[in-house]
Amino acid sequence: MPSTETGARLVMGLAWRDFWHERLMSLCFVLALSAVLLPLLVLFGLKFGIVGNLLAPLKEDPRYRQVLPVGSARYDPAWFETMAARPDVAFVVPRTRAIAATLRLRVPDSDTGRIITAELVPSATGDPVLPEGNIPQGLDGVVLSMDAADKLGASAGTALEGILSRTLNDKAETVLVPLQVIDVAPAAAFGRDGLFVSHELMVAVEDFRDGRAVPAFGSGGSEPLGEARSFPGFRLYAATIGDVAALRAGLMAQGIEVRTRVADIELVNSLDLSLSIVFWIIAVIAALGFCLSFGSSVWANVDRKRREFSVLRLTGFHSSGIVWFPVLQAMLTAVIGWAVASAGFLAVQALLNGLFVDTIGGGESVCRLLPVHFLGALGLTLAAAIAAAALGGARIARLEPSLALREQ
Amino acid sequence: MFSLRSVVKRYAAGGTEFRLTLPRLDIAAGSKLAFIGESGSGKSTLLELLAMILHPTEATRFHFAPDPGGDSHDVAAAWQARDRDQLADFRRRHIGYVLQHGGLLPYLTVRENINLSRRLLGRDTGEAAARWADSLNIGAQLDKLPAALSVGQRQRVAVARALAHEPAVLIADEPTAAVDPLNAARIMELMVGLVDDLGVTLIVASHAHRLMENAGLELIDHSIASAGDNAMHVTVNHAVH
Repeated sequence: MPSTETGARLVMGLAWRDFWHERLMSLCFVLALSAVLLPLLVLFGLKFGIVGNLLAPLKEDPRYRQVLPVGSARYDPAWFETMAARPDVAFVVPRTRAIAATLRLRVPDSDTGRIITAELVPSATGDPVLPEGNIPQGLDGVVLSMDAADKLGASAGTALEGILSRTLNDKAETVLVPLQVIDVAPAAAFGRDGLFVSHELMVAVEDFRDGRAVPAFGSGGSEPLGEARSFPGFRLYAATIGDVAALRAGLMAQGIEVRTRVADIELVNSLDLSLSIVFWIIAVIAALGFCLSFGSSVWANVDRKRREFSVLRLTGFHSSGIVWFPVLQAMLTAVIGWAVASAGFLAVQALLNGLFVDTIGGGESVCRLLPVHFLGALGLTLAAAIAAAALGGARIARLEPSLALREQ
Repeated sequence: MFSLRSVVKRYAAGGTEFRLTLPRLDIAAGSKLAFIGESGSGKSTLLELLAMILHPTEATRFHFAPDPGGDSHDVAAAWQARDRDQLADFRRRHIGYVLQHGGLLPYLTVRENINLSRRLLGRDTGEAAARWADSLNIGAQLDKLPAALSVGQRQRVAVARALAHEPAVLIADEPTAAVDPLNAARIMELMVGLVDDLGVTLIVASHAHRLMENAGLELIDHSIASAGDNAMHVTVNHAVH
């Protein structure tokens, strides 16, 4: 009895020799396979690229996750705690009254002496619009919006002065709040003159304007509010764009009217869905057609060689060897055909992306596939090849060897 | 070598029922037999039954004993069990088969075709192919593909391949029908010479009784016993003397 290893090596060797001997025919099979596989890859690449392009800014831009309250209400600390604990909420901080949430700013020792009025934006750790690590903290650490930084000529490390005024008991009072610029926010974070501040500073500014005592500013006044304090608004971001709609509905149910970009998100989602449906219909038909066309050519090839297979059986090859022979050849065809189609895809991809380079932003691509997609295509191709070849081979192995030998 | 009792093969082809009956067929080791009959008389069917590539319709007994005095294998039982791989093992180890038309693998050289039966047994190939080719006067063709050979040369390669693994029995179905008479006689002469040297049992089917007689084979009549419009019956009886 020869060892199975010898048998397997012998079958592999014979399968390869036959494949090479009929290399023109093998090339035809490879090209036929690539010709059907390539459009499928391009179609998938386009679907993946286009939808990826539509969704990427939505997923990356925190503005699409923002939930803005309309009008003002009273939100107590317990409400903020509840909201912060929700898994669909990524970030929530209280806002003070809009009228009290501004601060006049200047660079103390600048030549121009320019003063701007910046809107205060409450921030905290995890603020989705600010880069990680450069978060406002304490009563002096602030982050400037890009507009404000440009006007003041300030950058990270610049010392600023906040100018706060109030009239208390018919007496005008002004405090100068020393501030330190930790960072300048990206342009997309805030489109006007703005100052990202800690909750602590936000509250201190409102207290001062409301005539309460702010020991940190060295100013007197009425007693602080403490635990009884509530806030008229909030800054809230959902965890993902997928959470916005549900979060919005939940807030509406609490009687809180909010504004979101949920319509934009739904538009893209429905576009994604429509494109996906169109794609999958075409893809399923094409994939079925591909499997059938490749499978039938493999089957026909096995049938064409049945006399040779019968000679192998006459010589004493086992049925498994007769099945493996066409399976190995079909696998070889599948792998080479897949490689040719993949190379073709890369060329088409470069062409398409070059064509649309002006329409879409730099670094984006209208047509692209991930390595896992290529592997998926290989898997599908191999599965079709192995199934068809094994079925064809098994049919030949079941036939009586004498039948095909009689054919001339 | 072979011991058959009441083996019947029935099949229908083109509206005609064909029946080959072998009430008793014993073939002793070392025999050199030729079944002589015209084409369509079922000679190939008989050889295919002996080569275990055709399923007998009925068989009271079908034993195969490749080694004289050694184990006897029950071929009928293997067919009954549909154990194709066991039958393949019998063929691989004990049988060499020459087809009427070469049956060489077109993608292998002459050398590789000859070595195929040895490689299948995991045997060393070494210079075996060259020796066989020399003894059949095709030494110069070793590295050619079968397509580059004449029909007669291809038949010689087929004989070499059928003998290269030193089988117990060589079965040849009209091995020389496709070649010219001169070549045919030469091939038969070489084949019988090799078979004598190796002590291999030889079973040939042919319509050329003189050729077989000249080659020193024992002739067995394989004629059509009764033929009608719809049925053809052949009965072959042969017992060891």
